[in-house]
Amino acid sequence: MKQYFVLALLLTIHFTILAQENLYTTKAIPESLLTNANAVIRLNEIAVSIESQQEMVITSKRIITVLNEAGFKHVGAYLGYDKYRKIKKIEAIIFDENGNEIKKIKKKDFVDHSAVDGGTLYSDSRVLYMSYMPVSYPLTIAFFCEVETPNTAAIPSWRPIDDYYLSIEKDVYSITDNANLGLKTKPINFEDFNVETNEINNTSIFKLVNTKAIKPEALSPSLSWFTPKAIFTSENFHFYGVNGEASNWLEFGNWVENKLLKDRREVSEATKNKIISLTKDYSDPLKKAEIVYKYVQDNTRYISVQVGIGGVQPISAMDVDRLKYGDCKGLTNYTQSLLNIAGVKSYYTIVEAGNEKVDFYDDFYSLAQGNHIILCIPNSNDNVWIDCTSQKHPFGFIGDFTDDRNVLVVKPNASQVVKTTAYINEINHKKTKANIFLDETGDIQANVNIKSYGINYDRRFFVESESDKNINEFYKELWDYVNNLSVNNYAFTNDKKHVEFTESLKINAQHYAAKIGDGLIFKPNTFNRNLYIPNRYRNRKMPLKIQRGYFDEDEFTIQIPAGYTLEAVPNNEQLTNKFGEYSISFEINQKEILYKRKLLIKAGNYPKEDYALYRSFRKSVAKFDNLSLVIRKTE
Amino acid sequence: MKNKITIILFFLGLYLNAQDFKFGKVSKEELLEKTCPIDSSANAAILYNYRSTYFTLTNTGLELYTEIHKRIKIYNKDGFDSATEEINLFKTNGSNEFLSKLKAYTYNLNNGKIEKTELKKDQIFREEVNMNNDQVKFTMPNVKEGAVIEFRYRVASPFIWSIDDFVLQYNIPVKKELLRLKTIDGIDFKTTSKGYLQAYPKRSSEHDLNLDMGMVINTYELENVPALKEEKYVDNIDNYRAGVMFELVSITLPGTFSKYYAQSWGDVAKTIGSTDDYRNGLDKTKSFDDDLESLIKGTINQVDKMKLIFKHVKDNIAWNGMDGKYFYNGIRKALKEKKGNSADINLTLVAMLRVAGIHANPVAISTKDNVKPYFPTVDRLNTVIAYAKINNEEYFLDATEEFSDINVMPVKDYNWSGILIDNPNKVWQKINLKEPEMAIGQYAINAKLDEEGVIEGNFKAKYLKHKAYEFREAFKDQVLEDFIANRESTYNNIEISNYKVENAKTFSGAVQESFNYYQENGAEVINNKIYIQPFSILKIEENPFKPNERLFPVDFGYAFLERSVLTIEIPEGYKAETQPKPVLFKMPNSLGEFKYMPTLLGNKLKLMVEFKIKKSVINADKYLFLKQFFNQIIEKEAEQIVLTKA
Repeated sequence: MKQYFVLALLLTIHFTILAQENLYTTKAIPESLLTNANAVIRLNEIAVSIESQQEMVITSKRIITVLNEAGFKHVGAYLGYDKYRKIKKIEAIIFDENGNEIKKIKKKDFVDHSAVDGGTLYSDSRVLYMSYMPVSYPLTIAFFCEVETPNTAAIPSWRPIDDYYLSIEKDVYSITDNANLGLKTKPINFEDFNVETNEINNTSIFKLVNTKAIKPEALSPSLSWFTPKAIFTSENFHFYGVNGEASNWLEFGNWVENKLLKDRREVSEATKNKIISLTKDYSDPLKKAEIVYKYVQDNTRYISVQVGIGGVQPISAMDVDRLKYGDCKGLTNYTQSLLNIAGVKSYYTIVEAGNEKVDFYDDFYSLAQGNHIILCIPNSNDNVWIDCTSQKHPFGFIGDFTDDRNVLVVKPNASQVVKTTAYINEINHKKTKANIFLDETGDIQANVNIKSYGINYDRRFFVESESDKNINEFYKELWDYVNNLSVNNYAFTNDKKHVEFTESLKINAQHYAAKIGDGLIFKPNTFNRNLYIPNRYRNRKMPLKIQRGYFDEDEFTIQIPAGYTLEAVPNNEQLTNKFGEYSISFEINQKEILYKRKLLIKAGNYPKEDYALYRSFRKSVAKFDNLSLVIRKTE
Repeated sequence: MKNKITIILFFLGLYLNAQDFKFGKVSKEELLEKTCPIDSSANAAILYNYRSTYFTLTNTGLELYTEIHKRIKIYNKDGFDSATEEINLFKTNGSNEFLSKLKAYTYNLNNGKIEKTELKKDQIFREEVNMNNDQVKFTMPNVKEGAVIEFRYRVASPFIWSIDDFVLQYNIPVKKELLRLKTIDGIDFKTTSKGYLQAYPKRSSEHDLNLDMGMVINTYELENVPALKEEKYVDNIDNYRAGVMFELVSITLPGTFSKYYAQSWGDVAKTIGSTDDYRNGLDKTKSFDDDLESLIKGTINQVDKMKLIFKHVKDNIAWNGMDGKYFYNGIRKALKEKKGNSADINLTLVAMLRVAGIHANPVAISTKDNVKPYFPTVDRLNTVIAYAKINNEEYFLDATEEFSDINVMPVKDYNWSGILIDNPNKVWQKINLKEPEMAIGQYAINAKLDEEGVIEGNFKAKYLKHKAYEFREAFKDQVLEDFIANRESTYNNIEISNYKVENAKTFSGAVQESFNYYQENGAEVINNKIYIQPFSILKIEENPFKPNERLFPVDFGYAFLERSVLTIEIPEGYKAETQPKPVLFKMPNSLGEFKYMPTLLGNKLKLMVEFKIKKSVINADKYLFLKQFFNQIIEKEAEQIVLTKA
């Protein structure tokens, strides 16, 4: 208690000093912070104080100058709450360019709104937000708030640079453990940004000053990957009515298993018998798992309901069994329960899902890591992963939502961080074969066959369940460089066992080749032109990142009309470099041109100097993919 | 005897028919159905949509009850979304809509037997969305492919004068629907149907025992209503969704004075005009009289005065983002706080124009995001603009948006007609908004081609009217370097230097843009011949109109003209293998026009291209012409000229 007072005093002094600086006038912003900025954080001060295992107070003061309309989204004058998380104070003051107060917004003027997003049926979390609409820029907004929460497992992270076009004059985060809960901190990217750190008794302080706005660049790592942040966890914690104790992932996994999962795996007798009868004739555990996964896919659907501890605890398998729906936690726990019945071992797995790969920190456990649950089925040395929220994905295929990243596999007394399946480079294979018949008017008829694997499979198989109209439009968009294209016929084969999707199409396009004197001009690469050239940066700042890579192989046979011959045989081309490979080749028979193409793009992290090289590689690819052939009438 | 059987069958038929949609009587046939017979691509369909809205007397007085009953078939996994229902309940301080009698079941076929699962109380969620809306949400349990779900509920509403629209068309097909409105004889609600499918009511009357009054019943009975599907370039899809709207027009009850509400657009204009904001508010000019006098002092021409005042209002009152036909702040406060809603801004504009001696009036409109008003109504007009007439020339002004200009209003304003409220001259009527003048983009390119196919050139562009508006919006708040990078990729990955832009940060006049460029693959060299698409960086790459059919009009927002003049110097000693041919394509009713005029003189390749869309909206019946028109343009613009060494 004594310490708390000292801290309070410290904070007061701190505030007073700051108030003397002029943080409300736009003029006072250093010139360097205005470059590329839509908004400037003048001061962001977050003070977290842990009072006991079940009490944490978060005080925040955020003064931000918004330079233009695009910068308004950085204001962040909103605050989430629920039955447990209480808003003690919320207030905002608006200042004009010269620092004159325009308006004060009191708690009652904040709009109270449900915090439910589109994908959730119900959640008890709500939000208070400021509905002030600025009429001119620049202006400065000061936002003050205080929250009290028992959820010490959810200590707010520090992420001062949380967006592009945002510069920072000063950002200070302090955290105090008054309850000796065993607070742990993981600083990330502190050195690169000169973060100042300070320890006073049981308070840690992090400070970032005068940091210029960052502009986004194509093919660069995400902001959170290279900017400073700190995450926190404590050995003794509390979350929505449940206490916990852990000092590493193993112990944390035990908490998840014992406090959140255990005793939630019962299902009805009928379902139990059903599962037994479905799987009893097979001895291979993977075969059994495949059958159970199909059963779950056919009988449940994804619906998200989040209330209190339900944000991290699944609804019981019994409930999923009855309702036939659940969220990722509920459906995963249900599948695990059914696999138990079938005698197959499997583990509840916490993952940070999303197209971008985000790893769990091996050496630092915290509840804040992860936003999705998948299931791990151990198989000799390998692991098989399944996402139980998908009604359509093949068994053992997780796609780009949870691939190739560190996740926490929850096992009784053996939880550990492991990596999921990677889909990179040649695995993301796409093979296109086409027979193209070109006639004298320039029209083409073509039979096209495309086989997709890996991430390509993931991006393509949905097409089979689309309507006729959408399928037609899909191909018109896919080959938007072919004017007048129409799809006469299509057939799809979805081989889930080998994760192979096959499209067989009959295509025609009028005037694909253009008349030119007594000849025709056309591009031999009809069905896989890759014309993407990344933006040119005069001054590239960030490294080049290619997340997954891919491999395309194409073989087009072009039949030219009788009486025509190729005017000039084009050169074969071959490019090889650290980013991948590209080649095209031509074989000419009498009436037939065989065009072969390969493009391999390799996943990797490359220094920023490589960006220009990569861009020039893509320029060459685009150029060769755009190559034309001319045929002339010779008879 | 024969007759008798027929009659019995007839009754039996009726009986069966009535049975079909009784709550809880889901049939095996419905559960067995694999695809929707009226739309095989449907993932789900509404088998039965029943709604009955009627007046009734309760303890608290007259209330409006709505009973809903829906039966929905889920054909496959992609149709699972249709198993979730949201019910919106309106509330104000003290009054609120009240939901009751909610019952819902899921039906599945299990080994030939119908299995029924009830929605339990704990699966129903209620939340406060905001001050005026609560929402009740539920998703059905045990939903599998092939399932049929069914629910019913009742909403009691104290807001008896506002009857919600009847929605007759959804994003999934409806096999059968029956919607009924029962109102008190003497309380007259006008019904208007909207959408591209017209629905006509059957009218009948009856005596209500509970109210002891005569009732008027409007019944809408429809079958096989197709799903409403999104199309691109549509102003607002809800304009085309089949439905019925209701508006109170009069109350004539025995023993009371008759009251009449809006009926014609003239009445609507008068109603708005008689509010205090329009009657007196517009004359409260004291707060600006002096400022205005000094502003227009020395200016004689009325159009010049109008320009000055328009700019003055834009500079002095910023838009707070809210639409309205009535004041939010009023003139005095809006000028003092320097902000206001659209009425504060545009009514101040009217008031100032009037003081300056210009014939100016407010015009109430409905913007595109607010759909079209299909019948005379005050409620469905959501904002107001200013209208001036000088020497018989018409001017429409909306000073809310940053880049709007006189007769160049935000595109959303050009939705429909307008309602003129001219109190001084007692003219209250519907008027046509002046179509925006054709937007113009002018391009001039001077370039030089070398033997390797590299083009170096200079690009100049000038944008006028809505093209300028659009440029300014895109340019605003962008880091210049990023804007140029985007320009580079838009224009075929050219490399830009010496980029300049003028007049992009104001709202009036033309925007001018210029730069030098370097295009590595400007032309292709095959077998010592150069193949060049002279229009290369400006050409339309793909047809925006890909589907083969269209239901709704195509909305371009405004008519436009793009005129380009290119001069390309070709390498010394080369000549064209064939002379390029000029063309002229025209759409029927001169809706569009494309002119392509190439000439090759000496070593100068000259090209003049003009592309015009003359109407902002093109009806669906002209869609195929439009698609074909774009196809022809794309082909022509892709045409290559072959240069050979002499």
